[in-house]
Amino acid sequence: MTLNSVVETDFPEEFIEEMEKSNNALPKRIDANPKNVEKGLAKLVLTLIELIRKLLEKQAVRRVEAGSLSDEEIERVGETLTKLENKMKELKQIFGLKDEELNLNLGPLGDLM
Amino acid sequence: MKLYLYGIIDSSDQVKDSIYGLEGASVYNIPFCDIGAVVSEINQPIQGVTEGAVLEHEDIIEKLMENFTVLPVRFQTIIDGRDNLLSMMQSYYKDFRDNLERLHNKLEFGIKVIWPADKIKEHIINTYKKNDKKVSVPSNSSNKRFMRKKFEKYKINEEFQKKANKYISVMDLFFSKFAVEKKLKKLKTEDLLLDAVYLVEKGKQDNFRDAFEHIKSAHKGFKFLFSGPWPAYNFVILPKNNDLLKDSNQEDLFDKVIQHRDLVGADKI
Repeated sequence: MTLNSVVETDFPEEFIEEMEKSNNALPKRIDANPKNVEKGLAKLVLTLIELIRKLLEKQAVRRVEAGSLSDEEIERVGETLTKLENKMKELKQIFGLKDEELNLNLGPLGDLM
Repeated sequence: MKLYLYGIIDSSDQVKDSIYGLEGASVYNIPFCDIGAVVSEINQPIQGVTEGAVLEHEDIIEKLMENFTVLPVRFQTIIDGRDNLLSMMQSYYKDFRDNLERLHNKLEFGIKVIWPADKIKEHIINTYKKNDKKVSVPSNSSNKRFMRKKFEKYKINEEFQKKANKYISVMDLFFSKFAVEKKLKKLKTEDLLLDAVYLVEKGKQDNFRDAFEHIKSAHKGFKFLFSGPWPAYNFVILPKNNDLLKDSNQEDLFDKVIQHRDLVGADKI
């Protein structure tokens, strides 16, 4: 018996592109070395802040959906989240980080976000 | 003497056929109790990942599968000497034995599906806009408009995920009929709807293939990739808290081979 393995698709390029996209976006380890230690640390810290920001945002949206926020509260939450998002944009720009870089691969647990 | 490890087999017998491995060295079995580690001797470290070397590694595992159940080991697994190898075999004996029993007579198949994410999203947005009346998020200030935008994005994404789950569960229903184990990854990218591996009994591989053809013909506009049969790279389960793994470079002994396997497969497209 030989396996006679095959890979069959009419769209090899599209699949290669998608696999590359998914592999490149999420490094298994934080790339921290003497030359880029600052960026490596910033990436780790900003990833964690981004996670918290997204959790806050999701929580707020759920409360809006449930109708449990008054007009005033929506205004306040909106202001807080706008400021947080703007600050994150600023920090990402300072450290030259893209949105898709702010993630961590947690091995068998999957991706952080 | 460094040993290049190809896999663990369910036999302590010697490999009968003459198989030659990396650097043209003879491939042989180092027995431990009733199982064995198939190796060849290697003099110098392998320089990077080349397609030829990956194919050679894969080819040897496939040859071994003609006569044995094999736990395929990741490409470039090198053990420093026979004593270290035997010590690893001793530490893992029970796990290796359990895996060999579980994977006996089984093969791995890969399924990837790209869906028309843009069209699906567009459809969701259009539907959402029509039903917008249900949602009342005020928009009389920039902060409230911000919240409204977030809310819409959240709802659209929620619907997108629901649609993805729906398609995946239909596809998985068909594949699972002929599989004993599976690992599914949903939306690794927005377009890559499904990246799955299934463990299938040898006798059911034709049924599995038929299920794939059925799913493929029922989903026009989707793009499919079918691969296999492969050694069961993704279904070897080992505890990660073993001291031997922590102290050596053998971490992820099995689970990285799959990444190189894409290279092997790409050659056969």
